[in-house]
Amino acid sequence: MTTTPEPFEPRIVGFLCNWCSYAGADAAGTSRLKYAPNLRIVRVMCSGRVSPELVVRTFREGADGVMVLG
Amino acid sequence: MNRMGEYRKPRIGVYICQCGSNIAATVDTEAVAEFASRLDGVVLTRVNKYTCSDPGQATIRKDIQEQKLDRVVIAACTPRMHEPTFRRTLESAGLNPYYLEMTNIREQVSWVHPAGEAATHKAMDLVAAAVERVHLHRALYPRKSPIEPAALVVGAGIAGIQAALDIADAGYQVYLVEREPTIGGKMAQLDKTFPTLDCAT
Amino acid sequence: MMDAGRHPNIRLLSYSEVVEVHGYVGNFQVRVKQKPRYVDIERCTGCGACVEACVWKDRVYSEYEAGLGLRGAAYIPFAQAVPMKAVIDPNSCLFLTRGKCSQKCVQACEARAIHFDQKEEFIDLKVGAVVLATGYELTDHPSLARYGYGLYDNVIDGIQFERLSSAAGPTGGRIVTRDGRVPETVVFLHCIGSRDEDAHEYCSRICCMYGAKQAHLALEKTGGRVYQFYIDMRTAGKGYEEFYKRMQHEGVRYIRGKVAEVVPDAENGKLLVRGEDTLLGRYVEIPADLVVLLTAIKPAEGSRELGKLFGVAVDKDGFFAEAHPKLRPVDTTTDGVFLAGCCQSPKDIPDTVAQASGAAAKAIVLLSKREIEIDPTVAEVDRDKCSGCGECILACPYHAIERVEGKAQVNIALCKGCGTCVGACLAKAIIGHHFTDEELIAQIEGIFEREPEYSFP
Repeated sequence: MTTTPEPFEPRIVGFLCNWCSYAGADAAGTSRLKYAPNLRIVRVMCSGRVSPELVVRTFREGADGVMVLG
Repeated sequence: MNRMGEYRKPRIGVYICQCGSNIAATVDTEAVAEFASRLDGVVLTRVNKYTCSDPGQATIRKDIQEQKLDRVVIAACTPRMHEPTFRRTLESAGLNPYYLEMTNIREQVSWVHPAGEAATHKAMDLVAAAVERVHLHRALYPRKSPIEPAALVVGAGIAGIQAALDIADAGYQVYLVEREPTIGGKMAQLDKTFPTLDCAT
Repeated sequence: MMDAGRHPNIRLLSYSEVVEVHGYVGNFQVRVKQKPRYVDIERCTGCGACVEACVWKDRVYSEYEAGLGLRGAAYIPFAQAVPMKAVIDPNSCLFLTRGKCSQKCVQACEARAIHFDQKEEFIDLKVGAVVLATGYELTDHPSLARYGYGLYDNVIDGIQFERLSSAAGPTGGRIVTRDGRVPETVVFLHCIGSRDEDAHEYCSRICCMYGAKQAHLALEKTGGRVYQFYIDMRTAGKGYEEFYKRMQHEGVRYIRGKVAEVVPDAENGKLLVRGEDTLLGRYVEIPADLVVLLTAIKPAEGSRELGKLFGVAVDKDGFFAEAHPKLRPVDTTTDGVFLAGCCQSPKDIPDTVAQASGAAAKAIVLLSKREIEIDPTVAEVDRDKCSGCGECILACPYHAIERVEGKAQVNIALCKGCGTCVGACLAKAIIGHHFTDEELIAQIEGIFEREPEYSFP
């Protein structure tokens, strides 16, 4: 059985604060900046909302990387 | 759960916005809609040219009433823009506004990624996430708190005196607090003022 | 000023400071400390007998006269003071500082209004809205020494010039040097302590125009030569450019350049103003009798501390920070607290009045609502699970949580729904409505639902 090795495409989940980094991600869009499509953003009302359990849980669901931006 | 405490499957409507070509040029909105229609609890999926337009909102209202939707997912622009708009749409259709979940496939998908499969996949994942999340939304009700009909003005120079007089003229009690023994602030020290060269006090 | 003192809806609390603030928009509880003025304000008629009788009469520098005039320990700050009541200065009164005085003021007061045993009082107020209008003071930055400020009698600031020029001032409106001479030459220096990286970087905004006005008064009242050293003239405002033009026609000599130093001329007792005329490209030295420094506005002393009480931040220059520089210049990040005047940024009288009316309108809109709707996406404590550890109280940036009967309790009017307490709670006893753990976990599961075993793109 052979498989062609594919380039590694990480699955990244980002927890972004509504008032700063999420707004920043919106601003990136408004300015038409480009970045890799490997990121899925979860909006929170403050990065302080993100408990360690939530980060661990995100890895367990299959994330290769977790970002908490605030 | 309904009032009897038994689980009732939600009836979720999913609206994929094309935002003209802002989203549709990059994300295959039909494919996202097809994907969404297969998600658990979704009973209705629509692709709109402009979901935020009056006809777009009217459609949502009609669907809520006719299709008995009790949850709404809108994949469109950033919720920082139109979440209040769509919450009002739900409310006007008799649904609690907190049964809405928006997901951002414009600022955070179509505008930052090239057209193609990756962007469409990202939009799909975000819609799936929103659908999963909206399952658990609960009706929330704003609370009311009475307002004390009085104002405090700190500082009794030109600004403080003007603000105090305006608020007092509107019929409200004003407390004007000044740390010096007398009011007037710096204004009281000024001689004539430009450009009219009239008296300051 | 008189109107504010007379208005039936305005309660004036002079000689008072805000010391404590609790509550939230619509429901602030404010504690005000009223300092003892040692005069019963109800009894005092403002007759001034105590002022005349005070043994320290004319022996203390008057704040109102910016140090150019004198007052006693018992004094009425100025002739049109509101309230027109005497006050006894605890820092200079002989009896209050040394415990020994013949107390002639007490004997002179027919109204029996003087009470040396008066203590500070605390007044508790309940208000729905707050306007901060704490104004400005002129900078006394140490770098002003190079212009002789604080060193030479005839180097004065803008407020001191106002007092000299005022008919009610210490010279009866005569613009004279400290030794009583009518100056032959008055030199005004612009941008002192402002637009200066050593002192304050910002433009103080009002100095170009008050400098022009003072030049007019100096010209009119002294008949001498009037110079203005400026970096560039900023005359944005209705009628301002026209006023500046008028000053040029009246004969005010404008020299573009920043002054390097002001030094005394030992020979004739004048001051030498040395600088550069950048339009002519040459060094200038002007012998002056009076030098007026158009010093920068800076936020009033104590504004940072006052801001803390109301949850209002200050910007890098110490002015109160508005909620948005363009769209919400009157609001602060604390709902129900508004800004007016120079406490927010330097501004002239028309702009101050406009902003004050704006702040008043904002306050009136709020008060007229009678009830406030509180967003339900807030935190709520499950009392059965709460251990009362207090982690959430420490975590909450809005001071919205307190311990009630050993358990945490969220004040929903203060809670902004940030969820920091939810993340911090070790017992998972706090529900962050609309952002519950379950909702966020479901959302994450949804992200990986499409093809669980494959990578994203």
